[in-house]
Amino acid sequence: METKQKIKEVLVNLLKVKPEELKDSVALQESIGVDSTEMVESVIALEKAFGVKLSPKEITKSSSIDEIEKIIQAKLAK
Amino acid sequence: MDKIAITGLGIVSPSGIDKRQFWANIKAGRSFIKEITRFDASKYPAHIAGQIDELNKYSNISERLLKKIDAFSHMALIASELALKDAGIDIKNEDPNLVGIFLGNAIGGWLYAETELRDLYLEGREGVSPYMASAWFPAAPQGQVSIYYGIKGFSKTVVADRASSLMALGYARKVLNKNKLNLILSGGMEAPVTPYALLCCNTYGSLSKNNAHPQNAYRPFDKRRDGCVIGEGAGIVVLEGVARVNKRGAKPLAYISGYAATCDGADRINCSSDGKELARAIKLALSDARANIDEIDYISLDGLATDLWDDSEVKAIKSVFGARAREIPVSCPKSMFGNLLGASGAVDMITTILAMEHSLAPATLNLDEPAAAGLNYITKEAKEYKINKALVISRGRGGINSVLLVEKGEK
Repeated sequence: METKQKIKEVLVNLLKVKPEELKDSVALQESIGVDSTEMVESVIALEKAFGVKLSPKEITKSSSIDEIEKIIQAKLAK
Repeated sequence: MDKIAITGLGIVSPSGIDKRQFWANIKAGRSFIKEITRFDASKYPAHIAGQIDELNKYSNISERLLKKIDAFSHMALIASELALKDAGIDIKNEDPNLVGIFLGNAIGGWLYAETELRDLYLEGREGVSPYMASAWFPAAPQGQVSIYYGIKGFSKTVVADRASSLMALGYARKVLNKNKLNLILSGGMEAPVTPYALLCCNTYGSLSKNNAHPQNAYRPFDKRRDGCVIGEGAGIVVLEGVARVNKRGAKPLAYISGYAATCDGADRINCSSDGKELARAIKLALSDARANIDEIDYISLDGLATDLWDDSEVKAIKSVFGARAREIPVSCPKSMFGNLLGASGAVDMITTILAMEHSLAPATLNLDEPAAAGLNYITKEAKEYKINKALVISRGRGGINSVLLVEKGEK
């Protein structure tokens, strides 16, 4: 599955938001009004889904889907 | 202290959600005590309760929020919405700094907590939802109601065992009297039908073990009583100053005109057997309302359905009311849906307000033969009585006595 699609699926299932609310180039805080607790949960869920180590400093409320994709792809390539 | 107007009622209970359904069931004397179906409770000494199974049907709360909160917050959100709607208040038109929330709860949100703590031990720290910290504690519903409506005024949660919500109402009245707030959402919520909470209630030792006959199990003041049955739900009302209610042209459903609380200070678990401190609380509430014993038309009883608690309650009433005690109708309608613990006092007050509106004193179920004679117990079915002033008694573990005086409104 394409990385971006998988990221969206993880977030949609976890946060119970609508898929169309997530915009590729918009910060999560702007698109779905994500709060800090939801971010903690999201980072853990993405770690589990991709089998990579992610830091809450790398992926934040200001990250967009595109940026998250880049970070995860870089880790997967290592 | 001035009386405070109650302008909206919000009820979420095993006997119904919303006051119409609730009152229809109370009036008819229907029991909603059943075997617990939410989880396998068959090994618990007491495994019957009043449960609410279809909370989602009555709620506009998003799935995104529901996964972050416990059932007791969900119940409080629904009860708040119903109360505001009943009062004809759109919170968007209020100054959020002048709206407060005063709620009572005894045990917290254990369905959420138990599940997450199980995951902590099974999966380690990453197995625990980060919402656990903000979902389980007794003040969580206050926080969620505050966030949901953007309420920013002075607010509190009272934890005083079964007396929690009546105490929260007494506190809210005091705060409104200082004219620092325009309106307060006040009452309580409890969700004890979970594996751990049920275990705690069983350990406390005051639950009926008559599992074979759920509808006959909770029998306050009856000779064959063997304890109460727990129930879940919320009762929340809108409180406003009388001047503001008149100004906005609304009609109060009722008024809170007196309140008092005392403590027995005798034992860690039990109340005193003499009922003296409860009697003092009743006298103080009457004096706070500048009411005399001849004006009281109905008493809503605490009725834990154990010898000690029921008998001391009867003693207290007799000592305050003397010969009048034989005349005043008294009842414990929570025998129909269970003891909502920290939410019980607020729900009893709502039942009493509905009783006033319909001039009908609701019945105590299963009170076939009173253990202590001398009170005008309403049994079997509701009876017609004009009720203008009533007392609500709510007591808590270790001998907390809270008494509230409620007066009929004009609606």
